[in-house]
Amino acid sequence: MNYFPDEVLEHVFDFLTSHRDRNAVSLVCRSWYKVEKWSRHRVFVGNCYAISPERLIARFPRVRALTLKGKPHFADFNLVPHDWGGFVYPWIQVMAKSNIGLEELRLKRMVVSNESLELLARSFVNFKSLVLVSCEGFTTDGLAAVAANCRFLRELDLQENEVEDRKGQWLSCFPDSCTSLVSLNFACLKGEVNLTALERLVARCPNLMSLRLNRAVPLEALQRILMHAPQLVDLGTGSFDHDPDTQTYRKLISTLQKCKSIRSMSGFLEVGINGVELIQLIRHCRKLQRLWILDCIGDKGLGVVAATCKELQELRVFPSDLLGVGNAAVTEEGLVAVSIGCPKLHSLLYFCQQMTNAALITVAKNCPNFTRFRLCILDPKKPDPVTGQPLDEGFGAIVQSCKGLRRLSLSGLLTDQVFLYIGMYAEHLEMLSIAFAGDSDKGMLYVLNGCKKLRKLEIRDSPFGNVALLTDVGKYETMRSLWMSSCEVTLGGCKVLAKKMPRINVEIINEYDQMEFGFDDDVQKVDKMFLYRTLVGPRKDAPHFVWTL
Amino acid sequence: MITLTSSDGQTFDVDEVVAVEMQTIKHMMEDGCAESGIPVPNVTGKILAKVLDFCKKHVETVKAEELKAWNADFIKVDQVTLYDLIMASNYLDCKKLLDLTCQTVADMIKGKSPEDIREIFNIENDFTPEEEEKIRKANQWAFE
Repeated sequence: MNYFPDEVLEHVFDFLTSHRDRNAVSLVCRSWYKVEKWSRHRVFVGNCYAISPERLIARFPRVRALTLKGKPHFADFNLVPHDWGGFVYPWIQVMAKSNIGLEELRLKRMVVSNESLELLARSFVNFKSLVLVSCEGFTTDGLAAVAANCRFLRELDLQENEVEDRKGQWLSCFPDSCTSLVSLNFACLKGEVNLTALERLVARCPNLMSLRLNRAVPLEALQRILMHAPQLVDLGTGSFDHDPDTQTYRKLISTLQKCKSIRSMSGFLEVGINGVELIQLIRHCRKLQRLWILDCIGDKGLGVVAATCKELQELRVFPSDLLGVGNAAVTEEGLVAVSIGCPKLHSLLYFCQQMTNAALITVAKNCPNFTRFRLCILDPKKPDPVTGQPLDEGFGAIVQSCKGLRRLSLSGLLTDQVFLYIGMYAEHLEMLSIAFAGDSDKGMLYVLNGCKKLRKLEIRDSPFGNVALLTDVGKYETMRSLWMSSCEVTLGGCKVLAKKMPRINVEIINEYDQMEFGFDDDVQKVDKMFLYRTLVGPRKDAPHFVWTL
Repeated sequence: MITLTSSDGQTFDVDEVVAVEMQTIKHMMEDGCAESGIPVPNVTGKILAKVLDFCKKHVETVKAEELKAWNADFIKVDQVTLYDLIMASNYLDCKKLLDLTCQTVADMIKGKSPEDIREIFNIENDFTPEEEEKIRKANQWAFE
């Protein structure tokens, strides 16, 4: 293979799509390293603070598609202060200055300013795809800059971002010459959009495959838009305001029937839709592979999904009523029904009122192919309502049965026992989320010792302390990050860790000035700690309330 | 019909419609060099025969399913032959065959460690231990 000309080697590498494979190839020998380096176009950076933008482009000068992740996952639950970090501007600035031919940028939990978006739109002529997930810091003015200037834009995908809506005409900033859109998702925007501009945009983009609208788009508009896009594969509807009248609803159903390619749906199904219409809607979507809905669908609605959507691979059921006072929620019954009816299900996010061990054991038996299993019982520490027992056995069954499980989120009443099971059986587990669980340091130690492929561990409000934290400090160099908040670790423990592991950034978030210098480190508990391995030492953009030990 | 002569003197009569699947040959035909036959000095008769087989099949067959199955069978060759086919398809500029052969090599690489890959392809590790460790760490800590 050494006599192959570089372009042949490059051609072989073109067929390697996973980052792991490209990384392996770069380590084979010097010539392979060189060819791989100059031909890698797609780069994944799981923690923006593990490396610097300068080092990124020194290693991969021909990067065209970059994924960057910033804040820890628990930021989604408001546990990370807004200005903690994860600013994308320096990355865009360095790439612009170095004439990188950036075409795709995917950001998760980063701070994105309007300035960044404007610089992006101005600097990269061939820019095609912008995906922002759980980001913040920009307004619709920034979106207008992207719409107006990125002539070859194919994808503008905004998922769950905090965007200040200036109620401007950002959507109208797409020029008439823009016909290249493949994906448009603005579901997270709160403001109104110009419906005429939207309809015209959809009509002139024949390759549009994915369209997710926001709440401001009424039902009639949705129906008209769908008429222009029968080729859609992924549809996100806005909300149906109040009670849609039967006529509009019937028209929508009939239009939806013409969209024969729909494999993924999200949005809709809030109050106002009664059971009959909902069942009708779902019955027209037999080929669905992905479904994201609110829990107003209820166990009964999930039964319809189970009976209809035999191709379902991914299900997310979100909470509609976070105060927990309504009846609109799902229980273990809905989940069991789906596990029976949807044999291809492998990815689950399920917010529910309650769960039983029996149900989890049944689900584990019916669906051994789960790769992602996230269960969020709304009431923390809730036991099995039938037996009063912790949910250790239920989750134990899940990890034992689902041999390919890579991601797991626990909830409900849990003891150290569940962690014993996880350490023993979850061989491929990469990410684990723990909240209000466990009895002692042993719990955390079972996980750290047993899960060899663990990359991300996040823990809140659980009784794990310094012993668990410090028993195997080398483990943290094999992981991307560890988050612990409202646990039992002390400042002294964190300092010991930081001293032993110079290549790990140990950050303490001290938002409300609860911690004082000079106070006994061994007693002072740390409210929020986030540690991660890094090649570039402590970061220079940490706000005053973040201490790197 | 045109005649191709391999490096070891074998001659092959090839329909023009098949010959143009190889861009290198196509250009030579267009330049008027094909009158007295085209020499292919970089490719042995054994390999050239296989390349021509491939091109012929791809010209004749319309059904994608059938081609896919035939390709899978065609590419079941030993490693040396696979390398020779890659070099030949690169030289002759036959994109479909180059794609197939490179994809096959890529499939041998997928999921393997650097050590495994070196063994499969008999490649010497010319990194110093420090260099290798530095790259490995950067890969794992930053780019995975």
